[in-house]
Amino acid sequence: MRSPYRAMLRSPLVIVVSVAVVWFIASFLVFPNVNLLVTTFFPGGQFSGRSVEKLLSSERAMTSLWHSLLLAITLSITVNVVGIFIVLVTKYFEIRGARVLFLGYATTLIYGGIVLAAGYNFIYGRYGFITAAVQNVFPDIDPNWFSGYFAVVIVMTFATTTNHMLFLSSALAKIDYQTIEAARNMGASTGRILWRIVLPALRPMIFAVTVLTFLIGLGALTAPIVLGGTDFQTIAPMILTFSKSSSSRDLAALLAIILGLATIIVLAVMNRVEKSGVYFSVAKVATPLQKQRIRNPLAAVVVNVVSWLLFVVYAAPVLLIVMFSFLDSTAVITGTIALSDFTLANYGTVLGTPAVLRPFIVSVVYSALASLIVVGGLLFVARVIQKYRNRFTTTLEYLLHIPWILPTILIALALIMSFDKPSPLVGGAVLTGTTVILLVAYIVVKVPFTLRLLKAGFASIPDSLEDAARILGAKSLFTFRRVLFPLVLPTAAAITALNFNSLLDDYDAAVFLYHPLYEPLGIAIKASTEGENNLDSMSITFVYTVLLMIIMAITMYLVYGRSAQLRTRKAHGRRTRGIRVAQIPTRAPVGHAPDERR
Amino acid sequence: MITFDNIEVTFGEHVAIPDLNLEINEGEFFTLLGPSGCGKTTALRTLAGFIEPSRGEIYIDGKAATRLPSEKRRVGMVFQNYALFPSMTVRQNIAFGLAVRHTKKDETNRLVDEIADQVELTTEQLDKNVSELSGGQQQRVAIARALVLKPRILLLDEPLSNLDAKLRVQLREQLKNLQSELGITTVYVTHDQEEALTMSDRIAVFNHGVIEQVGTPEQIYNRSNTEFVCTFVGANNRLAPALLSRLGLDAARPSYLRLEKVSLVRHTDAAASVPLTGTISERSYHGAFSTYSVDVDGSDLRVTSSETGVTPRAVGSTVELFVDPRAVLQY
Amino acid sequence: MRTRTLPAAVTVLVATSLALAGCAPAAESGGSESGGGEPGGTLIVYTNSNSDGRGEWVTAQAKEAGIDIEIVGLGGADLANRIVAEKNNPVGDVVFGLNNMFFETLKSEEAITAYEPAWAGEVDEAAGDPDDGVYWPLVEQAIVTVYDTNTVDAADVPDSVADLWNEDKYKGRYEVNTVLGQATPQLILAGLLSDYEDEDGDLGISDKGWNQVKGYFQNGSPAVEGTDLYARLSRGDVDYGAIPSSGIASRDAEYGTVTGVVGADDGVPYVTEQISVITGTKKETAAQEFIDWFGSSEVQGEFAQEFSSYPVNTVAREQALPAVVELMESLPKQELDFALIRENISGWVEKTELEYLP
Repeated sequence: MRSPYRAMLRSPLVIVVSVAVVWFIASFLVFPNVNLLVTTFFPGGQFSGRSVEKLLSSERAMTSLWHSLLLAITLSITVNVVGIFIVLVTKYFEIRGARVLFLGYATTLIYGGIVLAAGYNFIYGRYGFITAAVQNVFPDIDPNWFSGYFAVVIVMTFATTTNHMLFLSSALAKIDYQTIEAARNMGASTGRILWRIVLPALRPMIFAVTVLTFLIGLGALTAPIVLGGTDFQTIAPMILTFSKSSSSRDLAALLAIILGLATIIVLAVMNRVEKSGVYFSVAKVATPLQKQRIRNPLAAVVVNVVSWLLFVVYAAPVLLIVMFSFLDSTAVITGTIALSDFTLANYGTVLGTPAVLRPFIVSVVYSALASLIVVGGLLFVARVIQKYRNRFTTTLEYLLHIPWILPTILIALALIMSFDKPSPLVGGAVLTGTTVILLVAYIVVKVPFTLRLLKAGFASIPDSLEDAARILGAKSLFTFRRVLFPLVLPTAAAITALNFNSLLDDYDAAVFLYHPLYEPLGIAIKASTEGENNLDSMSITFVYTVLLMIIMAITMYLVYGRSAQLRTRKAHGRRTRGIRVAQIPTRAPVGHAPDERR
Repeated sequence: MITFDNIEVTFGEHVAIPDLNLEINEGEFFTLLGPSGCGKTTALRTLAGFIEPSRGEIYIDGKAATRLPSEKRRVGMVFQNYALFPSMTVRQNIAFGLAVRHTKKDETNRLVDEIADQVELTTEQLDKNVSELSGGQQQRVAIARALVLKPRILLLDEPLSNLDAKLRVQLREQLKNLQSELGITTVYVTHDQEEALTMSDRIAVFNHGVIEQVGTPEQIYNRSNTEFVCTFVGANNRLAPALLSRLGLDAARPSYLRLEKVSLVRHTDAAASVPLTGTISERSYHGAFSTYSVDVDGSDLRVTSSETGVTPRAVGSTVELFVDPRAVLQY
Repeated sequence: MRTRTLPAAVTVLVATSLALAGCAPAAESGGSESGGGEPGGTLIVYTNSNSDGRGEWVTAQAKEAGIDIEIVGLGGADLANRIVAEKNNPVGDVVFGLNNMFFETLKSEEAITAYEPAWAGEVDEAAGDPDDGVYWPLVEQAIVTVYDTNTVDAADVPDSVADLWNEDKYKGRYEVNTVLGQATPQLILAGLLSDYEDEDGDLGISDKGWNQVKGYFQNGSPAVEGTDLYARLSRGDVDYGAIPSSGIASRDAEYGTVTGVVGADDGVPYVTEQISVITGTKKETAAQEFIDWFGSSEVQGEFAQEFSSYPVNTVAREQALPAVVELMESLPKQELDFALIRENISGWVEKTELEYLP
């Protein structure tokens, strides 16, 4: 530990992983993007600072930038409030129908983007049901009430609690129940226990998901376009427009870098706060969490009512989307729905198209390959980075975050332009125009998210397990395979599923990179909804969304439904003895020096 | 068998062990004793090969082992939290090291059954998931897992600290018995002086990364070399200067007297005992014996008394005490 | 391409899954090296004009004519970007459907190559690239400002589109498309600015011109993503909005509107969709054959009947739907200098995006 480099060099596995990751970073993260940025900022070999000037003098750019920041900050708060609430009511408090609630809240796992914003629009927008209902009571109300900052925040808050549902829930399950019992024994109220015991224990995970939420806020594209109105436009649409024009690309890159810097600052702040109060369970023997009853009857009623209201808010867009997919598009657009408007024609249009299945399969294969490769590869990288803290690994970690800084469009363009001639980095192959380049792009864009969550997954594994395996003679690969891998498998599976789902309908990368013979779903959807004479585009989007939701729901079921069954089975076994030792980390993660080095 | 030669261990700026020299003999049950943060676990982990010393050399069987990776040192280790692999059954945990060595299936089963028998794990328990076992059972799995590879040295890092008091005492004996049966050289880390005294052949008392004393339990207890060892191991009376003067001892030096060296009856062989008079201010009853606090001229002396056939003394009553000045430990 | 293992592996994987699912395409022969890779095999046709069933129609018709094509359909700006980015190792063989502006960009990037099609004599050369003949015109449409005569009183209709942003009573009553990455909004912008050329002005445009743009966007009602202009017209959200002329008929049918067109002083901007060979294609002959076939009066005529288009090919125009011809002939064409536009459009878009969008 004194000489981290020497320890690293001793393990052949670490060396192989390091070489591989350095190659990957050099070939697919640094080389293409530096290539692009150099041509962007140094047109003709001369540095051009015009983009800075342009941006500073544009009131609109500055305002949009501020809106994006404001949105990111607001969401960091609101999403945490709602996210923690829904995790608590489904996993911590004893609430009737918690399973149904969970399913309702989990709907964000399977939809998002334009469809979500549209769904909200149909409920709260100018011609929405709620607006109409409210107008009946208060005729003077502004029909455009659901627009601007407020509307964007509301929609995005409810749309982005996915990470809370997945990762905060699992962190909550790991809390040592005895600490809660102890607090209660000392007379602490439900609220106090929550505030002083449970939430502090969840802090590391809350920080982690806050960073993700912040990023989502910064990159917000669809919700502000649809619901922001003229008062609340964000920077992402501008970046998108500028990315597509070669002469304005420097502006896009600069804006993206500004957002990237904001992200890095937030990351650094979170890291610091995290370090100052590392929580780690000191329990030697932990008991599994049991659900808490809310003892104050008034509070119980309030929590129940709010939970079910939220359920409606969450579930309504999904139900509407399913309903809309069966509706005549004019009925949807004009907002007047009669029984006679229900039709199967939309499904007929989509499923009747020749080879409609093809894009689905192409996208499923690409998404599955990319998700498996990125998670599989980063499993090793995350472990190395998490275990050996030194300048080399820190640099690697920062470099692996590059795809978070640049928008997907720029990454895609950089890849095409950098691999359109034989490149020694990839063994002299030309990637542009092949099927592999889209796969590379998909892997690249999923690296940061995967790395962060996998690292967190490894941090919760006590080092002594690895020591134990080592002293028993296991080589690092064997240890990894037999000891560590099974422990991070649930996390890895969850990340794989999330990556898979988010890549399924990708458009940004595919549009530049897809191979003509293998058209992915995002392109197919876009093609089927575009066109001057295509008036059913909305309905067709809904049909595709429903189909996508089905695939995604199956994915989530495969990962979560099955592991949940497994967990229940284990929990039963555990309850009989009530003791669980092996899983509880008794030492701080490497890098956060505990007082005693054993 | 094991030699620490001028070992220095640092963590960044922090020097955990400045200069450690230690000899551990073949077949010995050797304990590293000290408060938390004293460097005892660091020493153990250095011996296991998890920590590389910044200076010095470790010899195992006379061969330099400092650079030897831990799996080549033929040491078995039981971790404080046992570090059982949660994803495996008990049998898989124990067989893990054998699987690494590609031991044949029959052989593996035989070895696992044999060691399970030795540590008293039932066949039924072997097929359970480790998380279904109690703490004591998990500890046995951890020991079995370490021993099944027939290591030359067994390292135990506070293996009893997770258990309740009664189980701890029980397992202490079992562990000691197992060790003497196998005759395996054992290095045991603990902060519990009672554990150290009852189990060890020899003890090294650690403080701030430095060994204060190495010796048999008797030496450590009765002839503590340093004030730290004396106060850390066993219960003491710290003697006030006035009392020291009455005993005819140097009143300026820090002085301690073990509780059991104060007597409520005059022993025939203790001719040199000095009689003192005091009032009982407190009594605590322990079943087999009682502890009294006696006020002697304003300073407090604690004394234990096994009270077979004696009427318990009441709080407030005056008693006569006998102290042998030669039993006083002065530093 | 020395190392082909990786791409080949991915291709095999994707292809196998497709085959297993029983929907392997006819055009499988190309493999991973199809596209600009090798002569023979499927011709890769890039277009932004594949929607409304056009792509399928062209593919089927071409097959009948003995040409195997695979359509890659993308939005105009995305497609142009892709072709430029791929120019060192082109994937596509032919591109059609983009407007003059994008073709000018492709030409200046040397991403397309000159070829004189067999039907060159049947089109007005001025509609394409009269100087170098790098790209050739196929169909034309106008970008018109429309309203629903059912709801808007004829007396209220402005004489000229410019009145919309210069007169207070239309404030917020007309739709403006703010997604300037797309082709149509770019063309509208170009149309607005072209009349105010001024060498001393910012980006070659006088202040007066920029004021027009400012007024246009500030007084307009931004388009709602996912909501069609005609849906907004029929709800009464807005009264006016711009749309390519080919989309009018189907919307009238769908929404029961009767479209009126607002006149323009200097005529309306026309979009001319072009066709060209992509530089570096290994199937140059096949690409040229496709161009000869697709641009021929026969195919263009059928295309016009099928998709209500207005062909540039004068012979084919005779087969165009009368309603289309009537509409197009009633719309005076704004004279646009596409070379100038091509040179400046990025700057214009950038300035508008930074300074004038709401």
